[in-house]
Amino acid sequence: MAEVQPVGITGLGVLSALGRGSEPQLAAALSGTAAFGPVRRFDVSGRRVGLAATLDRVASLSDELADVVEQACQDAGLTASQRAETPLLLAVHGQPDAGAQAARLAERAGLAGACRIYIGACVSASSAVADAALLIRRGADRVLVAAGYLVESDQFALFDAGQALATDGVVRPFSAGRTGLLLGDAVAAVLLESEAAAAARGRRPATRLLGWGRAGDAYHPCQPAPDGGGLARAIEAALRRAGLAPESLGYVNANATGTQLSDAAEAAALRTALGAVAGRVPISSTKAVHGHGLEASGLLELVLTVLSLQAGKLPVNAGYLGPDPSCPLDVIVGSPRPVASPYALSLNSAFGGANTALLVQAA
Amino acid sequence: MSATATTSGRLAVLAEYRWPEQPARELPVLPGYVLSSFSPLVAAAAEGCLAGRPADPAVLERTAVLLVTAGNDAVSADHVRDRVAAGRRLGPLLFFQIAPNSVVGQLTARWGLAGPVVALSPVGDPLADGLAEAELLLEDGDAEQVLLILVEQADSAVPDSIDRAHALLLTERPIS
Repeated sequence: MAEVQPVGITGLGVLSALGRGSEPQLAAALSGTAAFGPVRRFDVSGRRVGLAATLDRVASLSDELADVVEQACQDAGLTASQRAETPLLLAVHGQPDAGAQAARLAERAGLAGACRIYIGACVSASSAVADAALLIRRGADRVLVAAGYLVESDQFALFDAGQALATDGVVRPFSAGRTGLLLGDAVAAVLLESEAAAAARGRRPATRLLGWGRAGDAYHPCQPAPDGGGLARAIEAALRRAGLAPESLGYVNANATGTQLSDAAEAAALRTALGAVAGRVPISSTKAVHGHGLEASGLLELVLTVLSLQAGKLPVNAGYLGPDPSCPLDVIVGSPRPVASPYALSLNSAFGGANTALLVQAA
Repeated sequence: MSATATTSGRLAVLAEYRWPEQPARELPVLPGYVLSSFSPLVAAAAEGCLAGRPADPAVLERTAVLLVTAGNDAVSADHVRDRVAAGRRLGPLLFFQIAPNSVVGQLTARWGLAGPVVALSPVGDPLADGLAEAELLLEDGDAEQVLLILVEQADSAVPDSIDRAHALLLTERPIS
């Protein structure tokens, strides 16, 4: 495995049903205030479930992506010439015009151009972040990762048909009585930058991406391996790259969607990868407040992980009714926990048994 | 375009397969997948590339699958869009097959491939994009082989357009 160079996170831009920008995301995540409500964006009268986390008065996905990219560039203080040397990695739902969409987005933001488009369902954005770190390790000064999903009628109908949506209207990750997931808007942008390049322009990243890992379950088209084998190996790889032991971790932002099989598999993965630490590292899934942002979920959740570390407080796991024996974890309930360690994992899993782990450090 | 013409010299092609085959044959049915040729094409490409090769479980466990497609599963997507627009219900199988990762889960289970799973829409030449990403995955170290599958369904707007798939099993070329 090649030597890992320090990669900083120097710019954020974000939108979800919790609001626009970082402050409303963090406030709702810390208080566990969920944003689910009746869907009014399209007709759901024929669906089993009619709830999602959608932001009122949202523009097109292209415009919202352009907005969060601008937020991230401004947050990072990039000049026009620095933007012009920064490639874009985009995570969106796969469609024939994705290439043109990515090119227009890069052009609007004055970026160097679209380098990759990730369409691998719910690990799209986190895969892009891992690749961004690799490109920086290869010598790029900085890479901008953007991802977007706005709740729309087709995916909603598919998730409804697959009986994946929470029939009680609440997302309850790791909880007894959980009934499924709910979809949510997620549009985010993150600027990753080599620490040397950041220092050269007078910036010191508040958060580092220390490690990442990717592995597959080799188990089933849509069900996770019950033992969480692929996710466990992704976590182990992220820890190995970061040079950390499980005991160092202070928080896990879980993939947990609120579905029976997936949450139990994630708990099993954590037990395999972290051993006894799995039962005492604070964990929560912020999907309980912002919903499942599909291709963009990994980036929104990374942003919330970063914001939480910077704030010194860990988000609660909203919707929790009580412990499930298949998820013996230290779930954060009631009120936010203080950050006790600067190291946190953000986990994501997808159909096809795809798994990712991103490990960040508050600098 | 051949793979060897586009690699930077850092990749070795261990196996390669193209659909349609010559002589032509019917695309094998993939149980559980309906309406669309997309997932059967991906599965057939993997089968054609991997069948008959010596199988070292330790290597297969560190084999990534990289899917590259511009059109994605357009047939399934069009079907869903039409039914939703008409206010009609969808079959549950569509939920499982609509994500491009789904069929990758089928083939990784079939072949024991437990490395990273990545799906891309190309920004340029699909093969060049796929080879560049394969290099990155191998360099990263979580995989020692990459099964790259490029797939595009026939475009109904283009005369004589046909379903196509191209699979390559790739590894890092030893440093001489």
